[in-house]
Amino acid sequence: MPSKGNKGPALDWPAKYNEIPKAVFEMEELWPEELEKIFYGDEWHPIVHRAEIPNPGDYKAAELGEMPIFAVHGEDGQIRVFQNTCTHRGTSLITESSGNKKEIECPYHRWLFNLEGDLVGCPNSREFTPGFDAKDFSLPALRVEEFCGLYWVTMSDTVAPLKEYLGESFYEPLSRILGGDGRLKLIGYQKVTYDCNWKAYCDNDGYHAPLLHKAFALLNWQGGKGTQVVTPNGHLSFESELKIPTDIDALKDGSILDFKGTSTSTGSLVLMSFPLTVFSKHMDMLNVRYAFPKGPKGLEVHYAYFAHEDDDDEMVKHRIRQSSNLLGPCGLISMEDASIFSRIDKGNKTPGNAIFQKGVKDEFALPLTVGQNDESGNLPRWEHYRKLMGFERTKS
Amino acid sequence: MSDITASIIHSVEAINRDYICALDKLDMSAWLACFSKQGTYTFISEENERRGFPIAFMLDDCYERLQDRVVQVDEIQADSTEHYNMRHFTQLTSIEKVGTNRYQTNFNYSVYYTQKDTNTSKILCVGRYEDIIVIDEQGKGYFEQRKAVTDTNVLPRYIAYPV
Repeated sequence: MPSKGNKGPALDWPAKYNEIPKAVFEMEELWPEELEKIFYGDEWHPIVHRAEIPNPGDYKAAELGEMPIFAVHGEDGQIRVFQNTCTHRGTSLITESSGNKKEIECPYHRWLFNLEGDLVGCPNSREFTPGFDAKDFSLPALRVEEFCGLYWVTMSDTVAPLKEYLGESFYEPLSRILGGDGRLKLIGYQKVTYDCNWKAYCDNDGYHAPLLHKAFALLNWQGGKGTQVVTPNGHLSFESELKIPTDIDALKDGSILDFKGTSTSTGSLVLMSFPLTVFSKHMDMLNVRYAFPKGPKGLEVHYAYFAHEDDDDEMVKHRIRQSSNLLGPCGLISMEDASIFSRIDKGNKTPGNAIFQKGVKDEFALPLTVGQNDESGNLPRWEHYRKLMGFERTKS
Repeated sequence: MSDITASIIHSVEAINRDYICALDKLDMSAWLACFSKQGTYTFISEENERRGFPIAFMLDDCYERLQDRVVQVDEIQADSTEHYNMRHFTQLTSIEKVGTNRYQTNFNYSVYYTQKDTNTSKILCVGRYEDIIVIDEQGKGYFEQRKAVTDTNVLPRYIAYPV
């Protein structure tokens, strides 16, 4: 049962590693702690791919926790991420989700910033405080690292460099989702709100796929060989063979399921970096799912879809057809996931623990070796969460 | 609208009415019957449309895809979706003749949904339809294109059925 301690909200965490208190999805008072310890803590968060803001002046607004931020492509070709606030009185500077600007002007008192974040104009500055120096009023920039064109940010000065933080078991398959070399072309977004706590959204597992998704059975998809790799800091990567029969009786237009640029042996790649970003490559769909919690309840997910710069027109068209019909909040093979997010959230208003079973060999040990269709791969992430939040495990 | 007779307006309004009534009853066969054999259906965000990005929420770019949409709604997702009823409200905003018996039409739409588990009603999405309608000799219209461009760039929930 939840209880209040001196150091913020506390939860009695079960002794068994495969049990998660349902209250963790429902206690609103956890959110400020999660902001502090996770979203503003020692974690990296992907914000934008260069393909989304390919030209100087292109910008994209986002959020880190509750903090508004934006990424902008500078005249010097560099991509920087700033807090979305004027350094004068705090007015938000970017009000649209994306666009292009030559410079960034605050409408309130016309303070003007260049694309590199320098304050280059502020009316009547002779009447400012005696020690005023424009150099002290550049836009606050976040620590940024890039991987295959994807830019990650952190509020932490101490978190390990990005590749070390992700580990090779994560960044190697991630590079394949990002086209191998990061030379991607944005082909559009799907954006949706899911009615659940952010942790319900990212608690999807390897066990459910062949069971929940009726499309898999109807289309006679056969899961082949696969692996699931977890890291102690909660990153997860699945890689699976996808065998799709040549004749698909259930569909009139089976071309939607073609493999054009991908071997079926690595037909499905799904990655999730802690705390909640999903990356996937199913067949020929290249997808990054930026996720933005809206407080303790509800989150916005922005599915960004990409083609590769070297694709011919036929391949781009194929990626568009697959991405628009198979994934996302209306997709043939993923809409069921969306329905589960909110059903998990509703059901977890009941007392007790959510209990993981598939792949759990020892309830009192943390599994790092996980089978393809196990749900135990989620447990290292929960353990990482528990430690970050400082919840004590009860004695067995 | 000088080429546009009252009977053309009647035909255009009638096929739109058939369409929204089909969806409000979730009669997917009746929905399919609103399209010609060359028909296409697209449900896309205004953001993607404005910025020239082709990714849609639903992209049925041939008649076979329309048929598969019916299978998806009626069979594949039937037991996993949190079902909801829809009410479509539409308003014809323009008709332009673009060929023999072919008309480019626009409707504004708003769609409310009532979720079956909560029985509360909310707005699902609002936007515009950009259509190409063909009218046969009997005055019956069919969609050669129905493109639902939604201003609701962030959907309030996953969407299980066409709008």
